[in-house]
Amino acid sequence: MMKFGNLLIAGITTGAIYAMFAVCVSVWYRVSNILNLAVGDFAMIGALGVDNLYRVKGLPLPVAIVCTLLVVAAFAYVYDQVVLRIAQDGPQRMDGIVVTFFFTFALSFFIDGVAKMLFGTDVHAAPALWNGASLSLGSLHFERAGLLVLACAVIIGGAFWVYIRFTLGGKALEASGENSVGARIVGIDTRRYRRLIFVGTAVIAAVFGIVESPLTGFTYLSGATISLTGFLAAAYGGFRKPGRALLAGLFIGVLEAMLGGYVSAEYGDTVLYAILAALVLAWPRQLGFESAVSG
Amino acid sequence: MNALVTSSRRSARRSALVASRVPRGLTPTAVVAVVGVVFVLIWGQQYAGSVFVLAACYAIVTAGMAVQIGFSQQIAFSQSVFMGVGAYGVAMLNTHYNLPVLLATPIVLVGSALLAILLGSVVTRASGLALAVATLMLPLIAVGYVSGTGFLGGAVGAPLPGTLWPSSSASTSVALIGGGLIVIALLALAVFVAARILTSDVGLELFVLGVDERTAAALGVRTPRRKLELFVLGCVFAALGGAVYAGTQQFVPETLVDPTAELALLIMLFIGGRRSVIGAVIGALVIQYLQGASNWVSVNILVVEGLLLTVVLLVDPEGLAGIVTTAISWARTRLGSGPADRRGPSGSSGETGVPEALDALDAPDAAAEPADLAGLADLARAAEPAGLLAAVGDAGPGQPTAALLEIRSVFKEYGGLSVLEDVSLTLPEHGLFALCGPNGAGKSTLLNVIGGSVPPSRGQVVLNGADITRRPPHERFYLGISRTFQSVHLIKGRTVLDNVAVACLASNQSSITTRIVRSRLDQARAQAARTLADLGMEHLADREVSSLTLESQRMVELARALAPRPRLLLLDEPASGLSEEQRQRLAVVLSTLASRTCVFLVEHDLALVAQVSERIFVLSAGRVVFDGGPADFRSSPVVNSLLVGS
Repeated sequence: MMKFGNLLIAGITTGAIYAMFAVCVSVWYRVSNILNLAVGDFAMIGALGVDNLYRVKGLPLPVAIVCTLLVVAAFAYVYDQVVLRIAQDGPQRMDGIVVTFFFTFALSFFIDGVAKMLFGTDVHAAPALWNGASLSLGSLHFERAGLLVLACAVIIGGAFWVYIRFTLGGKALEASGENSVGARIVGIDTRRYRRLIFVGTAVIAAVFGIVESPLTGFTYLSGATISLTGFLAAAYGGFRKPGRALLAGLFIGVLEAMLGGYVSAEYGDTVLYAILAALVLAWPRQLGFESAVSG
Repeated sequence: MNALVTSSRRSARRSALVASRVPRGLTPTAVVAVVGVVFVLIWGQQYAGSVFVLAACYAIVTAGMAVQIGFSQQIAFSQSVFMGVGAYGVAMLNTHYNLPVLLATPIVLVGSALLAILLGSVVTRASGLALAVATLMLPLIAVGYVSGTGFLGGAVGAPLPGTLWPSSSASTSVALIGGGLIVIALLALAVFVAARILTSDVGLELFVLGVDERTAAALGVRTPRRKLELFVLGCVFAALGGAVYAGTQQFVPETLVDPTAELALLIMLFIGGRRSVIGAVIGALVIQYLQGASNWVSVNILVVEGLLLTVVLLVDPEGLAGIVTTAISWARTRLGSGPADRRGPSGSSGETGVPEALDALDAPDAAAEPADLAGLADLARAAEPAGLLAAVGDAGPGQPTAALLEIRSVFKEYGGLSVLEDVSLTLPEHGLFALCGPNGAGKSTLLNVIGGSVPPSRGQVVLNGADITRRPPHERFYLGISRTFQSVHLIKGRTVLDNVAVACLASNQSSITTRIVRSRLDQARAQAARTLADLGMEHLADREVSSLTLESQRMVELARALAPRPRLLLLDEPASGLSEEQRQRLAVVLSTLASRTCVFLVEHDLALVAQVSERIFVLSAGRVVFDGGPADFRSSPVVNSLLVGS
């Protein structure tokens, strides 16, 4: 029973991370119809950037964090202004799989390459923000970093929910996703929302990278794995539904922990992927795969 | 060059012209073979040569991806896994059973094909994103398996003693150059097969499948089978690439199967040009060249690949191949030659091009529109018995009373929502029948039940006495059911002629492999040209469909539905969006059709319905509430309260 409890805690913690990346992917997909496959790379840049500024350059930790987040935001802004503007708002508007997948895919490669140039190929992590031994409640153990991740997930996830549900900006966002032409006609600047959410999700991803990295440690290549899980969880949430993406992320995290604990530590992931593939094939429509991306 | 331009709409006409001069697929094959052989013979023993041969191994894989992923838009992430199957298979047969690599390769290919058929028959049930996500698991599972079991060296990798060159006593230089030449020969073969497929009639089917699977099925494309064939083709090409990789590198690293390898392949394809076989080869060359260069570029290859992909896609989504094609056609028009661009319609349909129509074609759009209208005015003329009657309905005036279609108490529920409730109706072999009803009455659902894209919850659909309730849409198409859609579903990026020709490939039962040898594309285009001529639309044949007016687009859809000479023609709101004048022209066409075939029409325009139909059904909340002739229809209180409003 205790094993189950601890696995559940571990599962929910990783699940919360997946869920947050999935939410980032699906919220931006709603606005832009582009899948952000670089979301994990922003997380990686956040973690490695803070580590570099704090440990190597010797900046105070809060300054290092703020600087890193500012750089991420600035980079995301410039990328949107230069690349996405030409791709989506240019004279011949591109659509279909090229835009949906391949621009952010190229971005992911680019960021990884830059990270390799700046930070090298070793495993690093941002310093733990909350130091100390793991907390215990009976025989249940809580990693402090894990609790921090959960706290961030609740706060940021909650803020997102409130924003989408209760503010005019959130409504406009929803409208941009449903029908961007229609939204423009009623006076919503869909491009501004695309930029806002892109920069916002990049910063959120970087924050999660910083908070999470003490648990796992990152290299310049870690981004792809994170993007992949975020993409998968978003996919199981039908891409347009952040709420379902969040649940899917938690589900995948818990399932992964349970398979690792009860089935096989070595083949847990293999079984997990097989189960996920089977789910897609069995209920594509119910999971929201059909009509999610056209062309 | 042929394959390079095939799919590009800008040069659709020119490519067809090239195709009629040289045998299909021969030009790119010859280019690859000659360049490859020269390169291997000169630099084969140097570092540059080894990079080139490695690139050729990858190019075999990307050539298959161009057909599967780029052209047909079936995004399946199975390439790296099957490259692994090919490479590990060869390594295993070579190390454990002492089989020479060249002998092991065909064995491994057969094995891969069987594995791909097994796997494909499961995963290709999914479409679009579901297919992508399901197959994305394959490299993840494979890499877990290889590193977990320590299969053939596990994470370290598997060395193999044999080389691709069969003689083990040959000197290193002979083995290097000989192996390189074998790879080039296999690459040329792969390019040939891929280019032949893209330029054949199946290529047209695959293009439609990639744009819209539902439309493809309604036009008689055997979608499940084509998707499986594509999957197997992609896997076999990948396995071949993997096998020669193992043979030339004499080492199989675990990284060959992991997701990053899959991403690298995708980058090659998209930089080179996703829909072009030559583009895919160029992409593999470029990326391998950059990776092989021992300088700043290869150290920071990720940055370079990311930048290159972004820039290339921003310039042209069709990649380097697209850029080169544009540059060539720009240079041609600039040099003032460009005779190809002024040539008439393609293939064997050349004779349908009238000079005036061609002039209108090459003129700017504004000038082309009057010609467009003139053509539709011809429609009314063509609608006299001679033209159309010859085109439609082989059946002849047999027994007009025989029932062609019977709907027997059909129900359709979506969840708890009942859309069709106990609908029964019978249509004879000829005549024009209309289905009316308020929005949400279930009209389109009933049409979809007849067409086969929506299965009924209960009840039967019977065509000519045979129960077709469980038949998929493409089989119903072969049985003579043809349809148009409420919103226009034409294939963008293709000409009017090709759009109509798709429907003329009906009963195309043969597999992709037989089409490599023989293509019926020219016959289909000829039949399409005849249909267009009968409708007075031959001057539109070479126009790209999205450049047409809505009326012309609807007429093209009608032509596409008529071209296979259907017994039952289902039209979903053909008049919506048309002006009164255009509707009158449509009415003439419809009345003419009705004398030879059975037309079933869903329409909101009550005046048009009453004018052309001999019998009208009114559907309300899923039930048939009226069934009678136009006179009763006009006077019926039910119809008035439902459709005209109080």
